[in-house]
Amino acid sequence: MLQKLFRNPQDAAAGLFLVSVAAFFLWQSSSLDLGTLRSMGPGMLPRSLALIVLGLGCLIMFNASVTVGPALESWQLRGPVFVIGSILIFALLIRSAGLLVAGPLTMIVGAYASDEFRLKETLIFSVLMTAFCILLFKVMLKLPIPVIAFM
Amino acid sequence: MFKSLLTGLVATVLSVGCSFAQSYPTKPIVMIVPFAAGGPTDVVARIVTEHMSRSLGQQIVIENVAGAGGTTGSTRVATASNDGYTIMMGHMGTHGAAPALYPNLKYDPSKDFEPVGLAAGTPIIIVSSAKIPASDLKSFIAYLKANATKVNQAHAGVGSVSHSTGILFNSMIDLKPTQVPYKGTGPALNDLVSGQVDYMTDQIVNVVEQIKGGAVRGLAIATPERSPALPDLPTTKEAGLPDYQVSAWNAIFAPKGTSKDIVDKLNSALTTALADDNTKKRLLELGAVLPSAKEGTPAWLGDFVKIEVARWSPVLKAAGATAN
Amino acid sequence: MDTIIGNLALGFNTAMSLQNLGLCFIGCLVGTLIGVLPGVGPIATIAMLLPITFGIDPTGALIMLAGIYYGAQYGGSTTAILVNIPGEATSVVTTLDGHQMAKQGRAGVALGVAAIGSFFAGTVATIVIAALGLPLTKLALLFGPAEYFSLMVMGLVCAIVLARGSIVKAIAMIVFGLLLSTVGTDLETGEDRMTMGIAELSDGVDFAVLAMGIFGFAEIIRNLENVETRDVVRNKIGRLLPAWQDIKDSAMPVLRGTGIGAILGILPGNGAVLGPFASYTIEKKIAKDPSRFGKGAIEGVAGPEAANNAGAQTAFIPLLTLGIPPNAVMALMVGAMTIHGIIPGPQVMTKNPELFWGMVASMWIGNLMLLIINLPLVGIWVRLLKVPYRLLFPAILIFCCIGIYSINNSVSDVLGTAFFGLIGFTLIKFGFEPAPMLLGFVLGKLMEEKLRQALIISRGSFETFIDRPISLGLLVVAVILLVLALLPSIQKGRDEVFTE
Repeated sequence: MLQKLFRNPQDAAAGLFLVSVAAFFLWQSSSLDLGTLRSMGPGMLPRSLALIVLGLGCLIMFNASVTVGPALESWQLRGPVFVIGSILIFALLIRSAGLLVAGPLTMIVGAYASDEFRLKETLIFSVLMTAFCILLFKVMLKLPIPVIAFM
Repeated sequence: MFKSLLTGLVATVLSVGCSFAQSYPTKPIVMIVPFAAGGPTDVVARIVTEHMSRSLGQQIVIENVAGAGGTTGSTRVATASNDGYTIMMGHMGTHGAAPALYPNLKYDPSKDFEPVGLAAGTPIIIVSSAKIPASDLKSFIAYLKANATKVNQAHAGVGSVSHSTGILFNSMIDLKPTQVPYKGTGPALNDLVSGQVDYMTDQIVNVVEQIKGGAVRGLAIATPERSPALPDLPTTKEAGLPDYQVSAWNAIFAPKGTSKDIVDKLNSALTTALADDNTKKRLLELGAVLPSAKEGTPAWLGDFVKIEVARWSPVLKAAGATAN
Repeated sequence: MDTIIGNLALGFNTAMSLQNLGLCFIGCLVGTLIGVLPGVGPIATIAMLLPITFGIDPTGALIMLAGIYYGAQYGGSTTAILVNIPGEATSVVTTLDGHQMAKQGRAGVALGVAAIGSFFAGTVATIVIAALGLPLTKLALLFGPAEYFSLMVMGLVCAIVLARGSIVKAIAMIVFGLLLSTVGTDLETGEDRMTMGIAELSDGVDFAVLAMGIFGFAEIIRNLENVETRDVVRNKIGRLLPAWQDIKDSAMPVLRGTGIGAILGILPGNGAVLGPFASYTIEKKIAKDPSRFGKGAIEGVAGPEAANNAGAQTAFIPLLTLGIPPNAVMALMVGAMTIHGIIPGPQVMTKNPELFWGMVASMWIGNLMLLIINLPLVGIWVRLLKVPYRLLFPAILIFCCIGIYSINNSVSDVLGTAFFGLIGFTLIKFGFEPAPMLLGFVLGKLMEEKLRQALIISRGSFETFIDRPISLGLLVVAVILLVLALLPSIQKGRDEVFTE
């Protein structure tokens, strides 16, 4: 759809992104006191900046409709989904299950993001790597990272 | 193999069950310091817990959880488990001024904590820029009043000790100067030294060396007696403002419901630490004031917190100093 | 000059005791290793390792802490070059060309130049501290909020120059970064701004979380997509250490960077952050072929790294002469000193000369040790890069997660990096560059604070920025830089988009 409306779909998407970000910040800061230019309140800078972002976003979108530019690249989902997913898994498990569980799981899920994934190799590697991390961070550096849930 | 696994399992269960009966502590204790590492409260905490760890037989690990004038860390402890393995070093701000400053505060200093004991107080000093032509407190106050619209008072941010004590000072001399907020004591002190701002009220440990070196001028110290760290500095009583008595006290708290046994154990470790010569020396070098025997009990601290909350509330509310 | 030599002699005497040498070495080594941990910068490192120093005498403890500090700085630059994750705000600039060099198989050269340049800068900075410490402090005291604001404006203009592609998009990113920096508690009223009720946000977005997500994780996702470019480039082995030509190319940038960094580092309030930006900007503008920048130009690593290290050292000046810490790391040092019974202040130099000069001397020794430690490490790092990516990146992932978690023991920090990783990836897809955003973010926090402070002190008068001479001078420089930056684009018209 963007392809048809704009000659530069990538920039169009870029502009749209900026506009949405600006809108979000404007919405979030609507309750803040602006103050005056001479005596700035909490809201003055955030809202002015958001307005500038809005303006730039519109400018980019305008440009995107008149000049030719690259199309939007296709989004491979496998990469982002599994990388971000693995980070989320780490976040969820690190306190409740400890590094012993979170480590390998994070690595395995993350590794799946690559299409060169090989299960057995990844399994072995992740266990070894977790052991190394525990040795380095917990034992040698004495950082308070939970290894098992209640330790 | 199964048998040994079972034995191991039984042993673990038994030992976990027994740990309630066994002497506390059986594993390291986490003390949350609700400020950035390196600041005065953090320093006091580290000095004190070093000795406490020894007498308790278990390491007390300091965790810095800074933010929102210390209330982020305090909230964490208020909602933590009360098994005695999470405690905190609170201070005049987190357990005194906070209710007045933060209307949406998620804890009540008197109700959500078990007081353990007062650790050390750092007296407040009124400091001014060296460029101001007033060498004692009385003439300084006169200068302030004469230049009320032009003077600038620095503070380290809403919720900081220099902020609350600054407001208290202003209300006592009946002045409403322009306040310049800074992100922390360092930048505030810097601008005081360079003369961009005119005065500040801050903890002795932050300013003692600058006063000694002449970079800023100390006008009075807000305690009944002079401090050995700055013997030439008059007290507020001597200098003409006797009602200004305030010190940034630091105290240990545990979550509500922590058993009396544990609280007493912690308190006695604290008292022992404060009696230790080396610990005492390091604290006194900072200019800190140690609690007397009467002031060192959990009960006294509990009452003190109530008094402090009641004291700060009207002053801060009158100045309109609430955060959202 | 006699007294300086005498003092330095005293200092070296103190610093070269076997115990202190050992402590310096351990500090540098440990600092480097932790600093190499993605996302973990000097502050987190020192805070983590502070308890280790408790059993040691004050001078020794400080020497060790200082070693940890530079080590962590250098480790942060290592990750910036190797995996595109800046350990601290000052290493952001290093990622621009440093990581590109790594991708071209020139990681060893980049790391080597960074190490050598840093050593040179460190040596000069040590001399500066020894000879000019006190007069420079007086210079620093001339800077009030108005001057800082103008300095930051100059920094923002540098951020525009740093951009590789479309200027409009770069400006948009900078402003976006500025906008992000306003999330958190308001300076004056303590109100929560745009935190959406999330308690962890009340102190603002954490730099490490942002950098990790936008730079690190987004880069991993991108590498997974572009398999072809990634592997071909990584299989080029290249030299392990800089060639003579590389060193010749880096010499002048290192000199300039050292000067810039040394001066900016003295300014309390984190002036050191600007050093690398300014250096990069100048190198890009002076270079005969500016289009090389952003694609692996060695000057883009040499200058900023030198500025980085020089600034890190001269940042000690306000601490050692006035007792006022110029940034969060130094504040930690103050705490460390206080715990050890030394309260930093104007009299430390006279009352504890062995401490002061011992520290100064050990700074140089620390720099030397870092060089010795890091050059062999370069070989290890480069070899690590040859591990098949499908195994390497999960390892990077887990290190990043552990690193971020361990800064504040906070799960929400890890969640934050996931969020920003997604944003970073999105930005790249839309043709934006993340670097200007991060720079805007770093500058934003300082700028707003100084702007509002200046206006409060001047009672709302904007003329204060022009009335004060230093401030005016800085603004003029900023305007000149801006014109220089925009001139080529205006001439070429606005329709170019350079692909990365």
